[in-house]
Amino acid sequence: MPNVAPGEIAERLRALPEGSGVAMKLGATDYAGNYLQFLAATLRDFGMEANAYTIYVSVTNPCILVNSLLASLEIPSDRVFFVDVISQTMMSSLTKLPNASYVESPTMLENVMLRVEYFLRKNTATRRIVIIDSVNSLAIHNDPAILSEFFHIMVNNLKSRGITTVILAVAEETNPELENLLSFVCDDTIQLGVAETEPKGA
Amino acid sequence: MLDGGIPRGNTVLISGSCGTGKTTLSLEYLVRGAQVHERGLFLSVTEASHKIQQNLATFDFFDKRLVDDGTLTFIDVPVLYEKLGLSKQEMTTEDIDLFVGAVARLASDLKVQRLVMDSITSVCYRIRHEEEIRDLILKLGKSLSDISCTTLLVSEIGPQENRYSLYGVEEAIADGVILLGNVQRRGDLLRTLKIIKMRGTTHSRAQYVLDLTPLGVLLAPYLKGGRGWEAA
Ligand SMILES: Nc1ncnc2c1ncn2[C@@H]1O[C@H](COP(=O)(O)OP(=O)(O)OP(=O)(O)O)[C@@H](O)[C@H]1O
Ligand SMILES: [Mg+2]
Repeated sequence: MPNVAPGEIAERLRALPEGSGVAMKLGATDYAGNYLQFLAATLRDFGMEANAYTIYVSVTNPCILVNSLLASLEIPSDRVFFVDVISQTMMSSLTKLPNASYVESPTMLENVMLRVEYFLRKNTATRRIVIIDSVNSLAIHNDPAILSEFFHIMVNNLKSRGITTVILAVAEETNPELENLLSFVCDDTIQLGVAETEPKGA
Repeated sequence: MLDGGIPRGNTVLISGSCGTGKTTLSLEYLVRGAQVHERGLFLSVTEASHKIQQNLATFDFFDKRLVDDGTLTFIDVPVLYEKLGLSKQEMTTEDIDLFVGAVARLASDLKVQRLVMDSITSVCYRIRHEEEIRDLILKLGKSLSDISCTTLLVSEIGPQENRYSLYGVEEAIADGVILLGNVQRRGDLLRTLKIIKMRGTTHSRAQYVLDLTPLGVLLAPYLKGGRGWEAA
């Protein structure tokens, strides 16, 4: 599968029908660079259009970190809501963001759904995106069966309401089981900065 | 969730151990009713009703005018006991009749369509015999049902109990039972809700995970992950 140029991601997302499920695979080599380009493309170029907002489910990093990255990209945080699933477990960052809701642990997947639902009900807009960062991090804390059930219910629920879900994955760390899960719930895959010949066991 | 879910005039037990959200759920039921001009009465047995009313402020959709204009009324049951001269620790059959009569009169005078008793368990503490508890709930249910008032009776149980009310009789008589509780997953506690029975409806027996939010109670399906996940 070919990589998409960072400048084309927003265009690709725009072209998708509303309510799509998208797997966003980022290459592990220069992951940080790929991740920043992903943030800029989705949250700034795509997500900052008039009357749109983003709900960011952060499992990989505490939302305060993601928020500061957004600030460095000059993405205003008033149209981003965080469902932070990791801060409480890591007992990191006592400073809480006003635009964040904190779930005690990444195993409480129903509460992730409920907090996303809360933000969706609280804020109406013509276009809403839900980003889940990432399938790999959720897989560390949850059994495959419960994880599939979660994604299946969550993505289909959002799809039926015309809300696009973007699921982040680290390309080289995604095993066949997670690949299956992604292809099951996603309509499209966007690949960014993935090495052409994937070194096995990288 | 409860709106439209409970047939009018039914008596439903809201069971759960402490802190599971019984009071919050019952309050939301009253406020949702008040928003569509159904008058509600909250009978507070265990906590002072002004404290209960403070909880209303956590709801984004609550409008204080609903209390000011009398759509919602809060009454302290200990005050009612006193007025009725029921100051003894134990209630006799006559006392029970007096109490049920007073509640029914209040409900009918206030023209309420929704009533909450928080908790029925503390009322039952004052009653010695199971038959009298049965009697109380039957009579209360009947007289409120006669005026088309839907009633939620809060039932306090222990966390591990395998019944839904302290004496077991309450759950047998009630038209519906909603169980609130906690389920463990890898050491984390999820708040849960289960409809045990609801006469006159085809309800799902599925378990839900619940979140108490400023927008009210939100429910998500409980994820089983292909097999039973509950810790025994
Ligand atoms: N809107 C809300 N948002 C977040 N938390 C809430 C909200 N409303 C209530 N809570 C919390 O939920 C907890 C349980 O609430 P509640 O009092 O309804 O339980 P209960 O079953 O009636 O408990 P008890 O047996 O002690 O009477 C409380 O600790 C309260 O702080
Ligand atoms: Mg209570």
